[in-house]
Amino acid sequence: MRIVCPFCGERELGEFTYLGDAKPRRPAADAGEEAVYDYVYLRDNIAGPMSEHWYHGGGCRAWLKVTRNTLTHEISAVVPAAGAGAAKVDA
Amino acid sequence: MAEFSWDIRSPLDRTLVTGPYGARGEAGLSLTEIRNFDLVQAMARRGKAAEMAAAAKARFGVAAPETPKAVGNADATLIWSGPDQFFVLSKGGRHGIEALASVFAGSASLSDQSHARALISVSGQRVRAMLAKLSSIDLHPDVFAVGSAAATSMDHTSVTLWRGGDRGGQAVFNLLVFSTFAESLWHTILDSAAEYGVTIGHSEELA
Repeated sequence: MRIVCPFCGERELGEFTYLGDAKPRRPAADAGEEAVYDYVYLRDNIAGPMSEHWYHGGGCRAWLKVTRNTLTHEISAVVPAAGAGAAKVDA
Repeated sequence: MAEFSWDIRSPLDRTLVTGPYGARGEAGLSLTEIRNFDLVQAMARRGKAAEMAAAAKARFGVAAPETPKAVGNADATLIWSGPDQFFVLSKGGRHGIEALASVFAGSASLSDQSHARALISVSGQRVRAMLAKLSSIDLHPDVFAVGSAAATSMDHTSVTLWRGGDRGGQAVFNLLVFSTFAESLWHTILDSAAEYGVTIGHSEELA
């Protein structure tokens, strides 16, 4: 499997580290125990395209958001995660 | 109080043995450690990437690389190291961290890496064959021309790789590697290069 880093170009899997699902959003401070439990522990087990965070630690050290089909490993999109690069602070 | 002094040595001091190595006959490549350089990493502060780029342009007369490239003038090379960050490689303190502090004040955070990296320069007829054992990056001149750079890994070790100006008609590849991993990578390079024959040396000159 290879990932096309938006900064570096196509690189082998060994340069990247997998974090996990990019969907969960930290709930508001007053959201309640249920929402926090969901955010911390509950994950969807997606069969198909999934949005994931990957770290290009063996390269430019940027965090990336990768859309990967968990059935085929086909990658349809790779974009910088929010905060990857000081210029893209609002991404 | 006890007398105390630093003995500054290259991280490859114990390992590097000048002279021929590996297959006999005409050496297929040369392996040179460059010593005593100034290396500063500049990383743009939040939202200040454009300001950092302008400061670099004013100081060096060339735009800081925004893609994996190495650019330079007569006495400094700017090497891309990630989004909104680059290295300044130079000699003799002209562009060391003290000299650059005021240049990038407010736009970038600087960190002195002069003694945190080893710089290895490889060239010669078989250099691409040797590097192909260590890296999956396509180094063919059509793809990786003079001035191309990459932040990548070799033998599980992070390196900054860029192609310098040709020497004697041969491509030159420069490698910056963490000091503490330099010995390990050096041995891996020697193992990869042995079959081609190597000339090992060290130099104080940035090429």
